[in-house]
This record gives sequence, C-alpha cells and structure tokens, in this order.
Amino acid sequence: MFRFQSLDEDCTLEEEDEGLVEDEDEIDQFNDDTFGAGAIDDDWQEEHKRLAGLEDKDGLGAELALGGGGMGGESDLGAAQTSTSTHLHSAGHAPLSSLKFSLSSSELPSDVDDRGGGDLAESLARLILEADPAIAGVGAAERPGPSPSSSRSSLSALQGLNRPGVPAQPSSIPHPIQPHQHPQHPQHELPPGPSASGLPPGPPLSSMLSYQQQQHLLRRGTAPMAQMNSHSIWENSMGFGPVSVTPGLVTHMEDSPLMSIIKEVGLPKRPPQSRNDEVRDLSERVPPPRSSSPVIGSPPVRAVPIGTPPKQPMSHALNHQNSPLCRGPFPPGVGTVLSQIQHAQLLNSQVAGFPRGGPGPPLLPVGSGFRPFFGGPPPPLGHRMGPPPHGHLNHTPPIRHNTTHLHPQHRRMLTQRMQSRGGDRGRTGGDRRSRDPYSNLMTQKEKEWVTKIQMMQLQSTDPYLDDYYYQNYYEKMEKRQDRESDSSKKEYTTKLITPQVAKVEHTYRPVQFAGSLGKLTVSSVNNPRKMIDAVVTTRTDDEEKREKQVWNKRRQILYTVEKMYSMLLEVQDFEKRFVQAPEEDREALLERHKTNTTQLCNSLREKEWDNRVNDEQCVMIMSVRKGKRLISRLLPFLPSPQAAAVVMAISRNLPALAKKDKQDQVLCWLVEPVSAVIQSLSSSTLTDLLQELQGSEGQLATVLHNKFGVTLLYLILSEGERMQSTDPNCQLMDDNRWTELVFSVTRELLSVPSSSLSPPLFMPPNLLSLFSRYVDRQRLDLLQDKLQ
Amino acid sequence: MNYVPGTASLIDDIDKKHLVLLRDGRTLIGYLRSIDQFANLVFHQTVERIHVGKKFGDIPRGIFIVRGENVVLLGEIDMDKPCDTVLQQVSIEEILEEQRLQQQAKQETDKVKMQALKDRGLSIPKADNLDEY
Repeated sequence: MFRFQSLDEDCTLEEEDEGLVEDEDEIDQFNDDTFGAGAIDDDWQEEHKRLAGLEDKDGLGAELALGGGGMGGESDLGAAQTSTSTHLHSAGHAPLSSLKFSLSSSELPSDVDDRGGGDLAESLARLILEADPAIAGVGAAERPGPSPSSSRSSLSALQGLNRPGVPAQPSSIPHPIQPHQHPQHPQHELPPGPSASGLPPGPPLSSMLSYQQQQHLLRRGTAPMAQMNSHSIWENSMGFGPVSVTPGLVTHMEDSPLMSIIKEVGLPKRPPQSRNDEVRDLSERVPPPRSSSPVIGSPPVRAVPIGTPPKQPMSHALNHQNSPLCRGPFPPGVGTVLSQIQHAQLLNSQVAGFPRGGPGPPLLPVGSGFRPFFGGPPPPLGHRMGPPPHGHLNHTPPIRHNTTHLHPQHRRMLTQRMQSRGGDRGRTGGDRRSRDPYSNLMTQKEKEWVTKIQMMQLQSTDPYLDDYYYQNYYEKMEKRQDRESDSSKKEYTTKLITPQVAKVEHTYRPVQFAGSLGKLTVSSVNNPRKMIDAVVTTRTDDEEKREKQVWNKRRQILYTVEKMYSMLLEVQDFEKRFVQAPEEDREALLERHKTNTTQLCNSLREKEWDNRVNDEQCVMIMSVRKGKRLISRLLPFLPSPQAAAVVMAISRNLPALAKKDKQDQVLCWLVEPVSAVIQSLSSSTLTDLLQELQGSEGQLATVLHNKFGVTLLYLILSEGERMQSTDPNCQLMDDNRWTELVFSVTRELLSVPSSSLSPPLFMPPNLLSLFSRYVDRQRLDLLQDKLQ
Repeated sequence: MNYVPGTASLIDDIDKKHLVLLRDGRTLIGYLRSIDQFANLVFHQTVERIHVGKKFGDIPRGIFIVRGENVVLLGEIDMDKPCDTVLQQVSIEEILEEQRLQQQAKQETDKVKMQALKDRGLSIPKADNLDEY
C-alpha cells in the first residue's frame, strides 16, 4: 500500500505479502513524511525505563500516584481491572499486584491495559505473550530507534482524537504522577511517561499490531474518557506509545496471514499532540446558545455545533465489520448488526455516556483465533451481535431509527435484496478488506452521523406531499402482493406503520415579561421584526351587508341633501343675481329660478301633483344635520300648501326626529321658519297640526320632553289663541276638535312633572289667556306655575 | 450494507477503489476513505490518471481531499473485472509530454478556427466552465 506503482499492475490494494516487505526505515520515513508528527519514541523509551525502575519501588507509591492522577472512570472498569490485576498476581507480576484501579479507568493501563472491561481471557493471553521470549524478540527487532518528537504515527495521526490515554506499556502505573504534578497546563510535549514495568517486550510487541487492532484498542480505551479537556487527555496519555494491548492477541495471530502484515506494517506512533490539542479545543468551543430552537427535525441544540464530526473516543467496537480478527465467523456481507437500543445509543448519546458494558470486550476475542478461550460467544457481545457468532447470512437487520421513513414494503424488499446479495459477495469482499490496513478510517459513528444528516433531510411531515409517487408505487406493490399471497401469509407480513414527524406548530413567541411596559425588541432569523402589528377583523356576511346598506342609505340621503342644497342656494341667490343681471339674461334667469323651485318642491313631494309631502323623504333628510338646515332654509321658499305639509310632516314625526336629533340638537333651527309657516296657516290646518302633534298616545309626552316640540306646541297654541282673540268669526271653535285638543294638552301639561317639561325657546304671552278659557282657576294656577 | 436503504449514499463505497472525474477534467483513482454530508471525499493512495489517445499515465498523488461540489462523477472500480487491455500505460514523463502535445495541437486548431471565424465576422464566446453564475 505504500507503493503506488503497484496500483496499475493488479489494481488491488492488497499486494502480496512480499509487496509489503520493506525496510523498516523506509516505512518509518514514509510515515514521518506523510503523516506528520507522530509519537515520540524517546519518551516512550524513557518512560519504559522509568517504569522498569519504579517497579522495584513499593507498589504503594505507585498506587498513590495512580489514585492521584486518575481521571473520572467507571467503577465497573475499576472492578474489572482489579480482577485482572488479581489475576496477574497469580501470574507473578508482583509489583503490579497492588494495583487497584479504584478511580480512574481512563488511560491508566494496567498490565493488561484492559480498559475494555477486564476481559479475563484477554489478559491471560497477554500474559502469555509477554512471557514468550520469541515474540519479545520479534518485537525488539522492530523497535524503532529514538527520534525526536516528529511524526511517528501513521494513520493514527488521523485518529489523534482517538488516542487519549491509550497505554503503551503494560504498566503505566507510575504515569499518573505526571498529571499529578502538572495538572493544570496541557502538555504539548510528551513528558517521560511510565515505562513498562519490567516488560521490555511489551512496547515492541505493540508495534506488531495491525493498525486496525490498535484502533480497536484505542477506542476501547478511550471510551470512558468521555468529554474531557484536551489537557487532561494528553496529560494522561503522555507517556504512552503505541498500543500495547495486544500482546495476547498477537500470539494467536501468528498463524493468520495477518501476522505478516502486522509485522511489516508497523504501528502508528503517537499522534502529534499540539495539533490535536488545537483541534480538540476548536471542536469543544461552545457557541452561544441559540435564541430559539431550530425547526422540526433538527438535532437538539447542543453545545457543539452541528458541523463538527463526532469525536473519536467513543466505543467503536461496532466497527468490526472490517476487523481482520472477525473474519472467521462473519462473512463481511453480513454487515454490522445493531440492536435497536444500540443504534439509539449511538445516535443520541453524546460522547460521554456510553455504557461500558455495552461495547464490552472488543471484537478481537470474537475472531476465530480466540475460540479456544471461550466456551461460547462472549456474553457481553451477545446482545450486540444479533446472531451468535456462528455466522448467519440471512438475518433480518433490525429496524433502525434512521430508516423509519421508508415505506414498509420498500424496506421488506430491500431487506430481501440485501440478504441475497450478502451471500454472494461475502467471500471476495471480505478477503480484500481483510488485508486493508487503512480500512475503517471512517468510524462507524461517523458513518452514522453522516447517515443521520442525510436522513434528516428526508424527514417529512407529509409523505404524500413530498414523495407522492414513491408512496403510491409501494402501496400498489403491497396491494398486488396481498392479492397474490394467500391468507396464511397475512399474519407473517405484519404491517409496519412508518412514524412520521409530527406537525407541531412552532410559532416563536419572543420573550415577554409580565407587567412590563412595552415589548422587548428581539429579532432573530426565526423571528423577524414585525413591521406592522396588523390585526385582522373579519365580519360575517350578514353584518357586512347590513352595514353596507346603512352606509349606502346614508350616502344617498347626503347626496340628496347636497343636491337640494345647491338648488336652494341658487334659488336664494336668485334675487341678487336678478338685480345684477343685464336685461336679456333676466328672462333666462327667471326661467331657471322657476325650474329650480319646482324641482325643490318635487323632491319633497310624493307625487308631482300632490301637495302631500313624502314623509319618509322628509324624515330622511331631517335625519341629517345638514338636512335640517336645508329644510329650515327651504321652508320660506316653498308654496304655502307645501310648506304646511312639511310642517305637518315634521310634527307628525316629531318623536322620531327628536330621537335622531339627540346628538345634533339642531331642531331648533326650524323654529323660525316653522313659526312663520304656522302663522300663515288656516284654523283648520292649525287644528290638524295640533292633532298631528298630539298624534298617538304618548306622543305628546315626548313632544313635551323635547324643546322644539314644546316650542312648537306653544306656537300652535298661541296662534290659535291669537286667532280666537283677534278674529271673532274664527272657525276654530266650529268643531270641538280644537277644544278637545287643548283640553288634552292641558291635561298633559298638568300631569307631566315639571322636570320633564323642557323649557321652550320662548314663551308666547297669550298662552295663559288661552288656558284661562278652558280651565278653571286652580288648574290655571298650576299651569301658570308650570309654565314659568 | 446500505445504511440508508432506498436512497443513494456513499457510505457503502467507503474503503473501495473509485474513479472520480473532477470538474476541471482530472481523473483520480483512489480508495475512498471518508465522506461527509456534502460529498466531500477523502481519497487514499490517489493516482491521477492522464489519458492521451490510447496511452495513459498514472501520477501518484497520495491523499486527496476533494470538495464535493467539484465532483462530476464517481464510480467504483470493480476489482474483479479484468483491466482494460486496449490502453497502454506509459511513464509519467511520457504521458505528460503527450498531454502537452495534445494541448498544443488543440490550441493550434482553436486558433485557426477562431481566425477563420473572425475573418467571416463571427465569434463564439468562450464558455466559462468554472463559473456558472
């Protein structure tokens, strides 16, 4: 893989083993050049020596150091490690026996470096390996020479984030001293880490591991680290060189074709720290919280912006698809099997909280090579790998969260297709991938992350709207299949209801404080500022119609009034104009005048020949303020019968007019012209007028309430009195009507309380004399009082 | 295994050998190692293959990161299929030389063509492939 020329020869990555055989130096150089600053072997070696020296010291000191430097870990891990350390005890590693990892599970590697949860068998394997001088010899040969802290690691540089605290040596016990002493500042330079405790072959052995194996170990180891400051990560991982875990693994790999590759490939050295530190810092920088949460479907607002890829130090044991060690039981076509829970955990969990128990031991033990160590499939793995590791080709992948948007029929078809395809392609793909040391650069978590983003874009609140043809097509297919299949199969194919994203109203309401005056001016992308606070008022049709009608009528009235007014003005100005006009125009002017007057009269009349006035019209006109004014000005110009008729109409409708006039109070404009009209009336007309005024029952009372009405009444009465007093042969007394009317008026006047009797505009003087004719003394007195 | 069945996703193409054609006309062959939501690609052991006539040459380039928007097409290379025997591989220098000659010839013909058009009073505006806006 390090030689490009091989590409054009056989187009395969996995050259023969010979192809990979190169000088160590060449490989190292290549790594240096290509992959940047790597691990620092010097420190690693120094660390090794130091550890070896420390080994002789009291184990207690080591323990203390351990406790001091520990990062947050998980108790189960500690327990597991305790067990393994106990086991080691028996194996004869006395100095380590005192190791009790109560606190930190993190990078503190014990002899077993079993961060993955203390796999007993694994630790055993490792022990064996360590004890094996042959392997040690091989490892020693591979040990790279000391070099500055330039790049050492190959692809582990890309996994810089992956590395926290992976122990290089079997015992990094004394290592925690480092962070203990320098707890605050990040270490950009690797301090002398713990050296292997009397296990020289340890580190070199790790160099024999394949890149992938290291990956696994790294990831395992860093799982409990969760979200930590970069400082702490590097502090703790300082002294650790390449992965050391797998001496045990290596043992069993001897036979596999991988071993040769492992030997040749070498191991990635420590990744450049400073660079990674910065990278870490950047990704951990917390953006300010949003003012409003994004719309549906977006991931929950977190501290880390969406664009950042997932952090590495998660358990990536899931990425076993390509693990060379897993070749045995699983044909690659099977693919990753995840329980739904696992999947949910992956998708939803932050870096931190991945349960240790879940990923459990790495998949390394699952390889065929480790069969002898287990009676059966390792229990922790059981729930993660759906089928037991005996290789099931035709399993149904569990429903995943991110595929719930598929039509169920579609999913079924895809499943079938996948299964059939998996069996065919399994072998070849597996072989190829098994020899690719660079595979799985993209971790499972990252793949899930990208998938998640892609699926998010597919979310839809209305699938029929967004993807109509897709839905219909699969529905049809389903129907067709149902028709074709017999009823027995019906229960087998259970209907899946694809969950849809709920259509939730996401109206953003800006922050408001109760009791404060005004609103905060808050404006964001999701909530732009409102320019106009417009409120929609809807009216029903009926209301609108009615309103419209009313307005139309009023407008009509106003229009009529205006028209009449203009005519009236012309009529009024006639005289002036007539005088001023030259001789020849006077005729025309006169003609016009006549026309105008007729028109005016006609406008009030019901019919052209009839003198009766259209009551309705009059009242309508009078309902408008201007109309009243108009009438008052018009009355003098009307011919007397018509004028009388108008006055009659007024008195007839006085209550209504009075009501309408409540706001304007301008009825009194009419007094003068009306009085003029009244004085020209005949007696019978006058009587009629009085009768009209009295009108129906109770009208008089209303009349008396109204100023104009009272005035009018008095006017009428005084006129009558005048008539009687002046003209001896007045016909007023011819019929009893007048008398009766006066009587009723008197009665009314007496009965009405003084308060409700509104004072008239003026009091005609002869009223008293009128009343004296009809009433007796005592009533007269009362009336007098009232009228005063 | 398709992580997103029913849709197209590059997840399944990871760690496989691919051929990608870029917008500037380059052809890259390499192992697709990583992708992201914009279809930015990370190629490993990339080789730029230059074709001139029946000859081709490979220039090793190492690791390539291709911005998604610059990809014209991307296809997996089937390792099982036999390689094309029609094309003849030559050394890098030779292929570059051939390419240079080809470019030169093209320029010459273009020049002649433009001149001919100009003589006739026509002109073809040069299409700007890099900027669609």
